[in-house]
Amino acid sequence: MMQSPAMTGAPSIWTSMSDVFWKKPGLVIFLLLLPPLLWLGIVYLGSLFTLLLHSFFSIDEFSGLIRYELTFKTYLELFSPANFDIILRTILMACAVTICAAVIAFPIAYYAARYAPPKMKALFYLGVMLPLWSSYLVKIYAWKLILAKEGIINWIVQGTNTSFLMDAILGIPIIGGNSLSISYIGTFLVLLYVWLPFMILPIQAALERIPNSLLEASDDLGAQPAQTFRLVTIPLALPGIVAGSIFTFSLTLGDFIVPQIIGSSRRFIGQAVYAHQGTAGNIPLAAAFAVVPILVMACYLWMAKKRGAFDAL
Amino acid sequence: MNIAVRFDNVIRKFGSVHAVDGINLEIAEGEFFALLGPSGSGKTTCLRLISGIDRPTEGHIEIFGVRSDNIPPNRRPVNTVFQDYALFPHLRVKENVSYGLLVRGVPKEQRFREAESMLELVKLGGFGERSPSQLSGGQRQRVALARALINKPRVLLLDEPLGALDLKLREQMQEELKALQQSLGITFIFVTHDQNEALSMSDRIAIVNDGKLVQVGTPQEIYRRPRTKFVATFVGSSNVLSPEINVAAGGDANWSSLRPEAVCIGAAGEGRIDGTVKTVRYLGATNVVTVIVPGGQISAQVNANHALPALHTTCSLDWSKRSVHNLDSE
Repeated sequence: MMQSPAMTGAPSIWTSMSDVFWKKPGLVIFLLLLPPLLWLGIVYLGSLFTLLLHSFFSIDEFSGLIRYELTFKTYLELFSPANFDIILRTILMACAVTICAAVIAFPIAYYAARYAPPKMKALFYLGVMLPLWSSYLVKIYAWKLILAKEGIINWIVQGTNTSFLMDAILGIPIIGGNSLSISYIGTFLVLLYVWLPFMILPIQAALERIPNSLLEASDDLGAQPAQTFRLVTIPLALPGIVAGSIFTFSLTLGDFIVPQIIGSSRRFIGQAVYAHQGTAGNIPLAAAFAVVPILVMACYLWMAKKRGAFDAL
Repeated sequence: MNIAVRFDNVIRKFGSVHAVDGINLEIAEGEFFALLGPSGSGKTTCLRLISGIDRPTEGHIEIFGVRSDNIPPNRRPVNTVFQDYALFPHLRVKENVSYGLLVRGVPKEQRFREAESMLELVKLGGFGERSPSQLSGGQRQRVALARALINKPRVLLLDEPLGALDLKLREQMQEELKALQQSLGITFIFVTHDQNEALSMSDRIAIVNDGKLVQVGTPQEIYRRPRTKFVATFVGSSNVLSPEINVAAGGDANWSSLRPEAVCIGAAGEGRIDGTVKTVRYLGATNVVTVIVPGGQISAQVNANHALPALHTTCSLDWSKRSVHNLDSE
C-alpha cells in the first residue's frame, strides 16, 4: 500500500503540535487568551479592586494619614455640598454632551451609511478619524484660542456687529461667563468636539447593518417616511446610539483636562480625583470620587438594558 | 376587464445599464401573473417599479388607470412580499403583521385582532407572540404574506416568494398561494426564475430577458409555441433545431423548437434522422437521452420502462411534424 507523504518519517515538532491543537481546540483558545486574561485580571481588575478598597478607608484629619479601617465615612463626604456639586455638575455635563452628540452624529452617520457613494464614504471615515489622530492637548489648546476673547469667534462677532448676541449668550447665568473659553459653554463645546467621533462611528455601523428591504417594506406597508424613521430606523439603530452614548458619557465623566484648560474654575469629577490623589494626598476620597462614574455607568447600562436597547443586537 | 397594472414604454436605467428597457404590458385585475426570467433580467426591477420603491427613468406605470409616477409607495394600493421576507426583527409576529394598520392609526386591540385572523388565514394562528427569529423559513414566508395582505391590497407583488424554501414546502406553498389568490380574487404578480413554478401557478406569464419582454401568454402558449430560441430553451429546455437539422430531418429551412417529450427513439434508419447516443440521464419517471446528430444534438424524453439505447450506439429519432414549432428570430 502506498503511504501519503505526510505519513512517512517522524512527524516534525510543528506537525505534532498542530495535531494536539486539532484534537483539543479548547487548548488553542486557552493559550491565546492567557496573556490578555492575565493582563486584565491582575493589572486592570486588580487595580480596580484596590481602588474600591481604598474608597472604604478614610483619612485622619489631624495627621493626614490613611486609616486602614473599613468605613463609609469617605462616601458620606461625597455628599457634602461642595463635593456633591462636583458630581452633579459632571453628570449634567455628561448628559448634555451625550444628547447633543447623538443629535449631531445621527444625521452625519445616516448620510454616510445610507446615501454616501463609496468615495464619499472614504472621505467620511477620514474626516471623522483624522481629529483622533492629532494630539488631544493640541486640539484643546487650539480650541482655547478659538474660543478666547481675542479668538476668531469674537473677531467674527465684532466684524458682523453681532456682539449683542454673544453678550446675550455669555450673559446666561451659570453657563455663561466672561468669554467662551472660561465658561461652561466652552467646556461643553470642546467636550462635544473631542467625543463626537465616538458617537458617529457606532451609529454609522448600526445604520449600515439595517437591510434596505426593511425600510422599503415599511414604505410599502403604508408608512410615511417619518413613521419609518421612528418605527424601524431608530429602534434598529438604538444599539449603536447606546454604544456611542456609553463612550461619550463615560469619557466626559472621567475627563479632567478639558475642564482644566477651558471653562470656569469650578471642578469636575476628574479634576477632583486628580487633586485629591495628588497635592491633597487624600487617596480614599479620590477613590470614592472615582467610583461615582462607575456606578453612574452601571445604572445607565442597566436602564438601557431594561428599556430594550440591546434587544435588536 | 379592468386593467390592474399597465406599463407604458417603461425604461429604468442604472447608469448606462438598462435594467428595464422599454416594456409595454397590461396585467388584468384578478389575474395570477408571472414575470419569468433568468437572474438579472430586470423582473425584480419591474416589481419595484409597480410598488413605487423604484421609479421609471422614462415611461409611465398606471395602477387601475391612475398614472402613478408621483404617488409614493405608501399610497399605492399595492403590497409586496419581499424576497428575503424583510420581517422587522425588533417586532413580534403580530406586530409585524399589523404594521400596516399601525401606521394608519388603527387602535391596538383591533390591530391585533385583525393580525390574528390574518395569521389564521396563512395557517399560523397562535404564532403572534413569537419573534421572527423563532420561525422557520416557511413560517416567515407566511408571516410576510399575512403582513402584505392585512392592508387589503388590490395587487399583491411577490418577489421570488418560494425561492428559499425546500422542494416539498415549495410545492405545498404553490398550491396554497394559488388557492389564496382565487379566494381573495385580487391580482397577484409574482417574480420567479423557476419555469415550473410559473407554468403551474399562473394565468399568464411574461418572459423577461435583458430588460425586455420576450413573450407574454398563457402557460400553454408559452410552452407549446415559444416565440424565440430564448423562450424555447428557458421554458422547459426545448430542443432548438437549426435550419440544417430541420432540412436533414425532412422539414423546412427554419429555426424551430421541438419538445423532448415529442421525440421517440428507434432503431437506426427507422426515423427522420440518425445519430449517436451521447448521454442517458435517469430522472425517475422518465429518461432523457441526448443524441448527437449532424449539425447539433437533440434530447428525447422517454418513458422509464421504454428500452434504452446503449451509449455511443447509433439510433434514430422520430417526431410528428406537428410538434415542430417555428421560431420567430434566431
